[in-house]
Amino acid sequence: MDRATLDDLLLDAHSRNDPAALVTYYTMAADEREAAGDIDAACFFLTHAFVFALEHGAPEADSLNQRLVRHGRADRLKL
Amino acid sequence: MNKHSPLSSVLADVNTANGLPNEHYVDPGVFAEERQSVLYANWSGIGFGKDVPESGDAKPVDFLGMPLLIVRDRDGEIGVFQNTCRHRGMILVDAPKKIGGAIRCPYHSWCYSLKGELRATPHVGGPGQNKHEDVKNEYLGLVRIRSHVWRDVIFVNVDGNAPAFEDAHGELLERWKEFETPLFHGGDESSLKLEVKTNWKLAVENYCESYHLPWVHPGLNSYSRLEDHYNIEKRGHYSGQGTLVYRQLTDQDGATMPDFPGLSDKWDEGAEYIALYPNVLLGVQRDHSFAIILEPVDQGNTVEHIELYYAKSEADTPEHDGLRASNAQLWKTVFEEDVFVVEGMQKGRHGMLFDGGRFSPAMDGPTHNFHHWVATQIENGRSE
Repeated sequence: MDRATLDDLLLDAHSRNDPAALVTYYTMAADEREAAGDIDAACFFLTHAFVFALEHGAPEADSLNQRLVRHGRADRLKL
Repeated sequence: MNKHSPLSSVLADVNTANGLPNEHYVDPGVFAEERQSVLYANWSGIGFGKDVPESGDAKPVDFLGMPLLIVRDRDGEIGVFQNTCRHRGMILVDAPKKIGGAIRCPYHSWCYSLKGELRATPHVGGPGQNKHEDVKNEYLGLVRIRSHVWRDVIFVNVDGNAPAFEDAHGELLERWKEFETPLFHGGDESSLKLEVKTNWKLAVENYCESYHLPWVHPGLNSYSRLEDHYNIEKRGHYSGQGTLVYRQLTDQDGATMPDFPGLSDKWDEGAEYIALYPNVLLGVQRDHSFAIILEPVDQGNTVEHIELYYAKSEADTPEHDGLRASNAQLWKTVFEEDVFVVEGMQKGRHGMLFDGGRFSPAMDGPTHNFHHWVATQIENGRSE
């Protein structure tokens, strides 16, 4: 998926206030940046994916928190 | 120089006392003083457990201008927090909602658990950096307001200095210990809300005396005469009235609603109506109870939140839907009959020459007991 399409999907998920979609698309954005070696950008998107997962009690919150911890960007949370 | 009227005449014995001066009903300055010394310094009612029935339910409440958040956590416990983010002071929750996982501030997305712990501070150390050595989450949880739930009423002590609820209200807990059984709210039609143009104290004062019953509620005369009532007065705690002739509602088949389990004979025809200072009005009868929270809006406006409870749930006793509806209508009629009185007394308090009023030594003890308590709280606040 190209970046423009992903941006559109993210904006749409925000407008629909769809937490599952927000977690999914921010994670995809993070994955893409991580693969490209852009860790700062990856952690920016991981942060957003994590926050929406945490807010809505989504199970992905735990693995997203672990990824941020691995990059030294967050403390480990007991979830 | 003390610019307020002296309260010594209020603190005198009921036989010679005057009521609280007009300024306690019409002056915004005294209202602000009461907010601190009377309502924030004691255990005030702000809501009902039934309004947050499930884990994750959150309800914001504006309590005299202070934003509070009622939350039922994953353990089923009710907590009350200041509804203000520890970051930039943003209101966290602006409408009742279900919290799936965490309370997220809508501004910069700082997140809190249902127990108020700060769980996430996104980008606090820069983009994608979610921690900073100088921002210590363990010290930045939501400000918890001291709370206690009794008879489904959520009480808070905002200033945190009142005695523990069980100590402050131990006498009433003991008096009504027979009613410490599960309560089931009667459903939508058992919730009543009255917006009344009166100072909140006048609603307390009218509630806790029986003197007015034959004049204002003539419908009660046929079975609940003045001489069938008694005064209830506990100096410094509560006051109200009791009746010796409570009669259960019956339907066309003669059926009644089930009693609360384990009650003694006293309650066969007994019922009590008590104002738990400052702003909660409670009633207990063998087959139902009610709780009223008086929400002081300003010195001349009050919202009465009235909730009726039963010994068994709606789901378990659908055959009593009609009786519950009739009972709610009966109480609605009684409470509405009181509106002109409390609004009329509020108007009367603008009479500049009114001296606070003279009590009936025989009939107004419960009302004076409340005035005495308010005056004591005010004096305590002024002496600090």
